[in-house]
Amino acid sequence: MGTPTPSSATPSAAFLRDARALQRKLVEEYYAGLDPARTPRRPVAYMLVGGNLAEIVRSFGYEVVFPEIVALTCAIKHQSLDNILHAESLGYGLDVCGYVKSDLGLQDRGGETSFGRIPRPDLLVCSFSGCYVYVKWWEALAESYGAPLFLFDVPYMREESPRKEDIDYLVSQLWEFIRLLEKRTGRSFDMNELKRVLAESRRAEEGWAEFLQAGRLRPSPIEAYFESIFYMFPINVLRGTPEAADFYRVVNEEVRTRVREGILPLPQEKFRVLVEGVPPYTNYRMFWDFFRKWGAVSVVATYPKVGGLFDRGFRHDPSRPLESIAEYSLGAYVNQSWPLRRQIIADYVREYQVDATVIHGIKSCRSFTAGQGDLRDWLIHERGVPTLYIESDHQDPRYFAPAQIKNRMDAFFESLEHHRATAGASPGSPP
Amino acid sequence: MKGIVAGVDIGSTTAKCVILGEDGQILGKSLSAVGVDIVKDAEKALEAALTDARLARSDVSFITGTGYGRYKVYFGQLVVTEISCHARGAHFLFPKTRLVVDIGGQDTKAIRIDEKGDVVDFAMNDKCAAGTGRFLEVCANALGYDVGEIGPLSLAAQRPLKVTSTCTVFAESEVTSYLSRGKDPKDILAGLHSSIANRTLSLMQRVGVEPEITFTGGVSQNEGMVRALSRRVGSPVNVSPLSQFLGALGAALHGRERLPGGAS
Repeated sequence: MGTPTPSSATPSAAFLRDARALQRKLVEEYYAGLDPARTPRRPVAYMLVGGNLAEIVRSFGYEVVFPEIVALTCAIKHQSLDNILHAESLGYGLDVCGYVKSDLGLQDRGGETSFGRIPRPDLLVCSFSGCYVYVKWWEALAESYGAPLFLFDVPYMREESPRKEDIDYLVSQLWEFIRLLEKRTGRSFDMNELKRVLAESRRAEEGWAEFLQAGRLRPSPIEAYFESIFYMFPINVLRGTPEAADFYRVVNEEVRTRVREGILPLPQEKFRVLVEGVPPYTNYRMFWDFFRKWGAVSVVATYPKVGGLFDRGFRHDPSRPLESIAEYSLGAYVNQSWPLRRQIIADYVREYQVDATVIHGIKSCRSFTAGQGDLRDWLIHERGVPTLYIESDHQDPRYFAPAQIKNRMDAFFESLEHHRATAGASPGSPP
Repeated sequence: MKGIVAGVDIGSTTAKCVILGEDGQILGKSLSAVGVDIVKDAEKALEAALTDARLARSDVSFITGTGYGRYKVYFGQLVVTEISCHARGAHFLFPKTRLVVDIGGQDTKAIRIDEKGDVVDFAMNDKCAAGTGRFLEVCANALGYDVGEIGPLSLAAQRPLKVTSTCTVFAESEVTSYLSRGKDPKDILAGLHSSIANRTLSLMQRVGVEPEITFTGGVSQNEGMVRALSRRVGSPVNVSPLSQFLGALGAALHGRERLPGGAS
């Protein structure tokens, strides 16, 4: 049970040091580099995070913009609502995806943000692993900018390993994409350049996976949800560049220092939590506080895997360039069927010694959220994992009700605490 | 050592306080409306319950706050959510309770508990107060009744009507529409109660319907609602004249456990 003045809420002062500062610098440099006024200007490809084809467009000299990441950056800086309201004034309904409205509103208002001006696209690449709303989003952008749209059709994954026919289907589309890029840029495809970019991606993936797996330690030296959200930027936005790979060297060195010096996300790790779902970016720090108050540390989370399940072993492979890109696109987290997603979560519960799961559903994203109610029931009844489901939105602050969310989280953690105190419950036992 | 404890439940519409004696007997209680100054409301609730118990503040060893205003019970030593408190309070009155249904002013909760009265799982209404006490109050007003009158009236319905439960405002319009078409208010009221029962059952099923079921919160004092709910569930539900106080009672019980040598 809580007391009126919780005492364990303050994270260690030494937590989030060099790596966080470097991440900020990379973000600033990236958006400064996108400035349309900057010369020489590189062509810009818009792309989606899940199952993206960044390495191929980078090998042709494109700069990559991820509108989802622009949108979430707007949300975390409390700038999303104006864009959403603008999109609604254009006719987009209340229930349309927050990313879509935030981006289309921003684009229609000229692309100006507090962190930089977002350039117009020269090419739109819709690698819509797991989300069909995104096709409509990219079609709207194509119509608005008159930019060519390449639709990368990725079959939904219902089996753990991709089938050969699926790989062949995707590789044939990748060749089609390469021909389009050759035509657009006037450059010939350079397989060696692609392999070089893929090698950089692989180096970043190794480092990112090492960071995420540090959550297996007891106590965890990392915050696998809230902290990872900062560190997702290089793996998602800069993957394929040396900067991304070098970044994770700094991160992992910091994590090793934390382990050596006993620097932890919280003074006491009372609950090891798995978090599933997209964060409420608009109230991200408040949401984090709701966990901290109870000594709850997220040791593993699914959301940081939307850019790739690297912690589960996937790597881009320069020796099989196009095949590994195809496997990557098929393996996007939201492109997995629910039985596969459940298995991933069950593995995480075991490998990371999880005490409880918190699921954050977001109102405007059905591709991530649909099925989470069943996941909750499955975790509680089939796996004996105490699980809380709460809902708001990732982009739209109008759907975040602090008192209601806090009340549910307080009730959940106080009952966990009470059961532990009265029954000496072991990790993983239901409340 | 045991002592006298108090539980103060600051809900969305009412403040409740229960003073619990050393042997678990209720020595005093209070019920009052919540205004804009929650801190004062909490103070008043405690003072009124102390007056009812003929006790002074110094007689109370431990105070626990609960409900949405729990962090405003500044004079307390502990805060506990109303979910845990309703669970504990329901178990105290009806020890065989396995499912607590709490319908308050703006919240409906289904709370599954174990044999000790501890929370196993819970589900609550999200984002919208349709199907709660406020929903009944708005519709009662639209019909020209006080919320306290509508339960018995609904029991006299001859041909219950269907009323939506998706939105309080839409339901109010629907009630007005039925009235303008000359429908009997008793039939409309029966429809309202039935629609809340359906909505509540959905929450109950999310955590698992298991007897015994105990109905708590202000709406549990509405006998029409008790009837509608037990009919929908297909079994009787426990209610008590103290049902509205079970959050405060549960808070007091949680506080009692914190006393040295307190009951477990």
